[in-house]
Amino acid sequence: MPITYERMKEATARLYEWSLRKVPDDTLEALRRARAAESNPVAQRTLGILLRSAEMAETQDRLVCSDSGVPTYSIGIGTAARLEGDIRRAITDGFQELVATTTPPLLKHVTNPLTNERSHSGKDMPLVTWDVIDGAAYLDITCQPKALGSGRWAALEIFTFPTLEQIEAYVMDCVLKAGSQHCPPVHIGVGIGGTFEHCARLAAKATLRPYGTRNPEPVLAAMEERLLKAVNATGFGPMGTGGDTTALGVHIEYAAGHGFTPVAVAFNCWINRRTRARLHEDGTLERIE
Amino acid sequence: MTAPPPEASLDGLRRLRLPLSREDALSLRAGDMVVLDGEIVITAGLPTHQRLLEASRGERPLPLDLEGAALFHLGSYSRETAEGGFELLYMNPTTSTRFNALMPPLIRHFGLRAVGGKGGLDAACAEAMREAGCVYFAFVGGGAPLLSDAIRELVSVHWNDLVSHYRLVKLKVEGLGPVTVGIDARGNSLYADLAGAARARLPAILAGLAAAREAAK
Repeated sequence: MPITYERMKEATARLYEWSLRKVPDDTLEALRRARAAESNPVAQRTLGILLRSAEMAETQDRLVCSDSGVPTYSIGIGTAARLEGDIRRAITDGFQELVATTTPPLLKHVTNPLTNERSHSGKDMPLVTWDVIDGAAYLDITCQPKALGSGRWAALEIFTFPTLEQIEAYVMDCVLKAGSQHCPPVHIGVGIGGTFEHCARLAAKATLRPYGTRNPEPVLAAMEERLLKAVNATGFGPMGTGGDTTALGVHIEYAAGHGFTPVAVAFNCWINRRTRARLHEDGTLERIE
Repeated sequence: MTAPPPEASLDGLRRLRLPLSREDALSLRAGDMVVLDGEIVITAGLPTHQRLLEASRGERPLPLDLEGAALFHLGSYSRETAEGGFELLYMNPTTSTRFNALMPPLIRHFGLRAVGGKGGLDAACAEAMREAGCVYFAFVGGGAPLLSDAIRELVSVHWNDLVSHYRLVKLKVEGLGPVTVGIDARGNSLYADLAGAARARLPAILAGLAAAREAAK
């Protein structure tokens, strides 16, 4: 049985609803560890409040944050998966159905950039990026509603043949610029290389990697570790009111490119919003995160 | 359900009645954690701030009294009820720095005693706050369940031609917090201090990165 419009529409809505209510387990674990390690009492208490908010949202079926974000999905299409009907339209319709029916209702965050008018729909909504998974008989769907508080601090600069030192200094510039404002402790994603648009996607992809994982490339694994220490040495702390925990993780992805090397830096707020599921041909939605 | 972490409890924290008295505002220090009770006015809208500014210049009527008020950058979902009134479903802070340019005249004109949100305000705002005797309270972002539970009464909703989070909403709260005093009425700002400290540390941080790169070779 192929994957249908109806199933895709449902999956779009369910993933979104989950992501607004459930802070990922790796993130809760990282927040707990940070709370135990904090030397600043206000920061420790703030981390406790964040954990309490996450727990209330999950157990009481409530939204963690009022900024339900702009809808973004990344979808891996299994090359062995059979599809039937308008899969792209299913995503648009699925989001529309969600906003029409979900409880509590969502605020209007989708913004027309030409007029600043806000609603629940707009050009290219939801934002979707596509990839291909060789051999898989499912769709791998990640939903990452992007909020304004963290979304606005992402940045990209193009260098020519940069040294690691230049790359790391740029990441620190971005961290200092965001300062207290992106709802820390944040998840920092860094993209290095490729082209302008590919690099931005790498940074976003890096923010999807669970805490505790390392890039298999030893140069980047070491960079992830030292950048995390460097970011936390800034002292902005939880919610930017001071402390040892400004980031819970720095994750880096890279691609080969020409000698012009983009470096992109993206931030997820402490909620680290993401849900991921596989939509199988038999119609089951297998929740992974 | 597991017990809440002790840090999220309100026990042992100073309770403040809003609108704040001048004495209470001046008694607070940046870094204090407190809990709020009383009347607050909230909005998360830039157009709302522009309207407030127009009202302060007499260019449009002001729909509620803001003299000495607590005006917070909290967005909320206000829904019309069958009886023609409103109910407030949830609320949560937004980044205050987006309103940096508009806050000093509002703080001065209305003599705001408290402002708040998340992420802080800039030096020009802190100066206006010092002159007016006003403090900034930092709310936790992503605190919608906790913060919304403090709502006791929806007093009024204004400018409801705007999208919900932009509306000007007056409400009564009990046990709102804990919140951290981010900027006190003497001009001390955690945000300015932390940004300054981070900038001062940057050379040492970059030297640390260089040493770690060297060690990894």
